[in-house]
Amino acid sequence: MATVTKPVPSRDEPRRPNVASANLQLPAVRDYEQVDREISGTLRPTLFWFLGLGVAVFFLILGISAWMYQIYSGLGVAGYNPPVMWGVYIITFVFWIGIGHAGTLISAILYLFRAGFRTTIYRCAEAMTVFAVMTAALFPILHLGRPWKFFWLIPYPNWRYVWPQFKSPLVWDVFAILTYFTISSTFLYIGLIPDIAVLRDRENISPIRKQIFSMLSLGWRNTDSEWRHFARAYLFLAALSTPLVLSVHSVVSFDFAMALTPGWHTTIFPPYFVAGAIFSGMGMVFTIIIPLRKWWGLKHYVTINHLDAAAKLALFTSLIVGCAYMNEWFVAWFSGNEAEKSFFANRIWGQWWWASAILYTCNMVLPLSLFVQRLRRSAAWLFIISFTINIGMWFERFVIVVPSLSHEFEPWQWTSYRPTWVDYSILAGSFGWFAMWFLLFIKQLPVIAIAEVKEIVPPRLRTVHAHGIDPAGRHFEFEPDTPGEFA
Amino acid sequence: MRGVLGAFRELDATVSAIEALKQKNVGLIRVYTPTPRHELEEAIAAPPSPVRRFTLIGGLLGVTFGYWIAIWVSDYWPLVVGGKPIASWVPYTIFGFEVMVLIGGLSTVAGLFISSRVPRLTMQVGYDARFSHGDYGIWVECAPEQARTAEDLLRQHGAVEVRRER
Repeated sequence: MATVTKPVPSRDEPRRPNVASANLQLPAVRDYEQVDREISGTLRPTLFWFLGLGVAVFFLILGISAWMYQIYSGLGVAGYNPPVMWGVYIITFVFWIGIGHAGTLISAILYLFRAGFRTTIYRCAEAMTVFAVMTAALFPILHLGRPWKFFWLIPYPNWRYVWPQFKSPLVWDVFAILTYFTISSTFLYIGLIPDIAVLRDRENISPIRKQIFSMLSLGWRNTDSEWRHFARAYLFLAALSTPLVLSVHSVVSFDFAMALTPGWHTTIFPPYFVAGAIFSGMGMVFTIIIPLRKWWGLKHYVTINHLDAAAKLALFTSLIVGCAYMNEWFVAWFSGNEAEKSFFANRIWGQWWWASAILYTCNMVLPLSLFVQRLRRSAAWLFIISFTINIGMWFERFVIVVPSLSHEFEPWQWTSYRPTWVDYSILAGSFGWFAMWFLLFIKQLPVIAIAEVKEIVPPRLRTVHAHGIDPAGRHFEFEPDTPGEFA
Repeated sequence: MRGVLGAFRELDATVSAIEALKQKNVGLIRVYTPTPRHELEEAIAAPPSPVRRFTLIGGLLGVTFGYWIAIWVSDYWPLVVGGKPIASWVPYTIFGFEVMVLIGGLSTVAGLFISSRVPRLTMQVGYDARFSHGDYGIWVECAPEQARTAEDLLRQHGAVEVRRER
């Protein structure tokens, strides 16, 4: 059989960034000891961490205070204006559920597709998912006049003889979100076990921490048998989580699409919501990972190649979302349905033009900049874009919820909606709650998967490896894709 | 449990030691590696993990339970909605799917724990903390009369430390 030898590129030949293969490599990471040392180093508190935690707790206290005031005064202080009885709380609920989607997408779907760029960002995204779903779960309770009766929301056979109606999308929603939270947390924890074992086995560790890590690592010893079962279990969890990611936001979209309200009753909602959720989640991943890699000195783990590849995914989902927006306009026009046409005119040119303008600018126009490679490879630009994506996606949910309810079939029902300081405070409080959990997480557990990073770091060998690795396991000299990136 | 523990710095040395130990049939081998490696997997040639059976059984039980509970509840508390049958299988598929994923996922984790024998209360014998950092290890569980052979083989293939444990 004939063999084909690939010509070795000349050293003088200029190298273009090759994201397809470069995202699998971490040229500045030399060995396993370096991985352990640098990633465990993120557990040391820094000034930025304390500042961040302080700001997060401040916003959380603000949100809790506003909620206390709402409980004392009644839901009237929240700015509801019948028939707009879904406002900031439901908008923010859908927003946080959406944020939670990128984590499982990155950890499960990209794992099945063997996308190399996920390796160093997936732990962060998974933790983000769990805390985002925890945040979202607060909002149905905040939306209640008597939150202490929240368990009435849980559909189970009970003494009140109000049994679950399994044909209701709200019941599907409860089960979908609970399942998503359970599976996401399980996925996060299972992936963490080998890394917790690394922390447990460190030399300079306090006895209390060692005991906690020993319990959490479940006596993990890195045996071949444990890894064999681990790899299989991880694969199946990924395979189960993949349709779950797609189903959860589809089910959330059914909360709207099953109603006859103009703007909601459309079959495009499930894919539109799923793409939007992934898009918003990618935005939040950038918001979190870019400061992390800078402040904790992890630029050689989350390289510019990883950000470039993740930006392409964000761009792709932005295009899907943009397509869904255009489809909505077309269907409103083509349907010949007067209520639908009137609603859309009001949404785009009428009462809610400003919200629509923010939405389309942030979600459709600005992400087009990611077609430019130079911008995709600029961490600063990605950080800015991540903020506009977060803002745009919150406004997407605003534009879905409020304009529809304020402009239904009967003109006498048409009204307006203005959130109050209570709504805004609770919205800020939700960001504080999310950030607080995330900051506590990154101080206790590794924010990058140690065991998985070691998989892509060349092992130490006695003999010369064929793929540019010397006997000590070091790469042959390698030029960074972006000058100064590893400096 | 008694045997010999060898610590290796290099992956290829570990692989050659495993192959030699298997060839000589010295005893039961357990390999430690800080991260899963195909080279070790091929040298050990272990049978496929049984975790997949737990996933399958859990998933099937979950979907069956999901449909059953929805149909039973509808039958017990009949409420006609939109002229549709009391027990409508189409919307119940969503519920059946969610419960399938939930029970299937949790069974997978149970399968992992049962197969890997975790949680483990003690890990004193045949383990060294360096195996979770950068080194590889081989634990050979063997009778005292074979321990000498195992030690020699481990050293011969590049073990940086070899010790007997019980």
